[in-house]
Amino acid sequence: MDKVDGTEHYNFKAPADLATLQVIILDTNPLAWATFEKSSSLSFPAALSQLLIFANAHLAFSQSNRCAVIANHIDGVHFLSPADPGTDHRDPGEADLTPEDLKEIANQNASKYRVFRLLEDEVRASYRRLIKNTTPEAVMACPNSSYLAGALSAALTYINRICFGGTGGRSSGVPGDEKSKVNSAGGKVDETGRTMHAKILVVSVTPDPANQYIPVMNSIFAAQRLKVPIDVCKLRDSTVFLQQAADATGGVYMEPEHPQGLIQYLMMGFLPDHLARQSLILPTKVDVDFRAACFCHKKVLDIGFVCSVCLSIFCEPPQGAVCSTCQVKLDVTSLENIGKPVVLPPKKKKKKKAIDSLPESGVASAAESPVPTE
Amino acid sequence: MNSQAMKSFEHLEGLSEAIFKRLYQQPATALAVFRRMLPNLAKTFVMAMLFNPDPVPVSSLEAFVRPDQNRLKEEAFGKLRQLYIVTERQGTFALDATFKVELRKALTGGGSPGSFGLPCDTEDKNRVDISFLDRYAAEQWESILHFMVGNETQSSQRPSEGVVRLLLHGKLMEQNRASGTVITQLGFSFLLQEVNSQVWTLLLLYLDMAEQLRMDPVDILHFLFLLGSLELGQDYDMKSLTPTQKGMLEDLRDYGIVYQRKSSSRRFYPTRLATGLTSEIRSLRSPAATLANATPGNDENGFLIIETNYHSPLQIAVLNLFARLISRFPNLVTARITRESIRQAIGKGITAEQIIDYMTANAHPQLRKNSPVLPPTVVDQIRLWQIEGERMKVTSGYLFKEFATNAEFNAVCKYADDIGVLVWIDKNKGMLFVSKHEQIADYIRKRAQSNR
Repeated sequence: MDKVDGTEHYNFKAPADLATLQVIILDTNPLAWATFEKSSSLSFPAALSQLLIFANAHLAFSQSNRCAVIANHIDGVHFLSPADPGTDHRDPGEADLTPEDLKEIANQNASKYRVFRLLEDEVRASYRRLIKNTTPEAVMACPNSSYLAGALSAALTYINRICFGGTGGRSSGVPGDEKSKVNSAGGKVDETGRTMHAKILVVSVTPDPANQYIPVMNSIFAAQRLKVPIDVCKLRDSTVFLQQAADATGGVYMEPEHPQGLIQYLMMGFLPDHLARQSLILPTKVDVDFRAACFCHKKVLDIGFVCSVCLSIFCEPPQGAVCSTCQVKLDVTSLENIGKPVVLPPKKKKKKKAIDSLPESGVASAAESPVPTE
Repeated sequence: MNSQAMKSFEHLEGLSEAIFKRLYQQPATALAVFRRMLPNLAKTFVMAMLFNPDPVPVSSLEAFVRPDQNRLKEEAFGKLRQLYIVTERQGTFALDATFKVELRKALTGGGSPGSFGLPCDTEDKNRVDISFLDRYAAEQWESILHFMVGNETQSSQRPSEGVVRLLLHGKLMEQNRASGTVITQLGFSFLLQEVNSQVWTLLLLYLDMAEQLRMDPVDILHFLFLLGSLELGQDYDMKSLTPTQKGMLEDLRDYGIVYQRKSSSRRFYPTRLATGLTSEIRSLRSPAATLANATPGNDENGFLIIETNYHSPLQIAVLNLFARLISRFPNLVTARITRESIRQAIGKGITAEQIIDYMTANAHPQLRKNSPVLPPTVVDQIRLWQIEGERMKVTSGYLFKEFATNAEFNAVCKYADDIGVLVWIDKNKGMLFVSKHEQIADYIRKRAQSNR
């Protein structure tokens, strides 16, 4: 029977499945972690170890998968891996090691897969360097500071370069940079010209930086356009911005109930890649808090004022009735009654006067008229 | 991953449960099996279960998957069962205990020292660098390919006896009375594969042959998977290897997969052919191209070498498989792709996809500027020429018939369709034809038990 057609023409290829770039944005604010540890008994080192296992698991999926780790620190955003090419790559702790220690390390290294080891070493060394350069005074000065907007933009620009540029760019030390060259030279590219898929995981212990509302929203929309899901692992304090980020980009939002078991949340909820997510039902928040922050005082609002031209949000009519974003002169005369407990249109008042003889009617109509609720 | 490399792994899937259980005793192997042999969804399941101390109820895994993706789910479970990675007990799934422990070790780095290769602790006086290793690997590998197309004058050395024996064993070449050893059709098809698949094909043949020589296949596979996780440019100590593996080193040296300065040396260097073993990155056609591409900053040179190499008989012999050569200059060959030449190639068991891949991978930089690289009309025509001959399709499989009841027949049909093995059914005759039978047989047995 095989003689009829012994060739193997039928093995047509499945559509190219691209590798995935995982960018992890990690809060490294020491004070926020210290506070969190008290309430949850999950310390930063433990969380970092579990995150690194998660990163390893991601890299284990495929040789061409890559991973980047970004620290959202008290003074700005730092790439932990791939480390900046200009920086000193030495581990600050290394100078104190004896030859025996080095041998011990080499032995440990032999028990680790080299791709995993490179990433781990780089992240840990960069983190130690980062902490070494952070003074206690600086930490005390800003207990809750977070550069979420900066971290998201850094992640997105990095993704843009790796997944669409294909030039490799920053030398990562992870043997992946060469691969992006292979990709650009003759490898797989999907119809939109991307050479890799990407996803972002935000591990957050700090509250919303309300003053960064606009840049954060812009990053979210940029991620939406690039089709990059933003997954959020919110360990402390529920947040409005990150809920919206996950919701708008189709990412996963979780607030682990048992933070000690972080690894299981990571492996089950956040690990599935682009391909697997098409066939999985992943945990995400159903009732997303869609509140916005005002542009004038950066407060999160339930009800606010919106510029009729540029849709900027304000918690009170802007000063001088000029929109601070687009400088348009606004007509605020109709706003005079807003904010008062009961809004009575002038027409009704006239009617009321006409039927003033009925004593109870005024009270009743006031109760029925629309009341702005909280 | 390409289909050819996948196919070579199907060979591994047929191993027995006992062998798999022993294979999983090394973290490097557990990791390599996870990475290379599982479909994406199966990997996701394994990771979801990996750090879960208890067995997971089947129902909760099923709830994890979208209802319309049943086929993918069954495929994933099927593969996990086939490789003995999960065991199903009383409605729960559990990862194989050894696999779980070893994969965890791989991810956390908790294995014993040397489980990902033992680096030498002393300095090598005759240290070699990566470019040397690349050159060495390319030389060794290409000398095998040159030998296959029967031009030994090009390369200075003839491959060792072991290599020739292996090629003959795998029927890539055959002994011919008149002209010595000549290449077979299988061999030609081998030449058109990517380097990574070529390496695997040869190594699996080696495995096959080794079993006849009473070498332990588990030992061999452990070593192959270990090689895939080593670091290029690092020297490793032989002392953590088993005697079988030490014996293998000599053969692998002949293939250019590892480098040893002399056979008595206790250290060895893996080459790029070795470190690429467990990667599924698409490597380019010739070893020279792969190596040039993987070496940063060297791309331009690499491509130029390929182009000027067209006067190498190996490249020409490959071109001759699917194109009619017209003229030949010192640095240029012209050939014409015709219906006859393509039909001839297809007759030899070469597919249109292989030809297109080959041409894309070896395109001149000038041509590479286009997107797509090859003109679509040419690609389409080659595919059309292939389809011309495809009037009949052979599917090997199993026929199920004489079901007791119609209900049972329908249930089995539905199940077969769900897991994606259903090829053909005839409702009137109550027969169905499937490409794989193990799961179906299981299903029928379970149904019978539950009905009793």
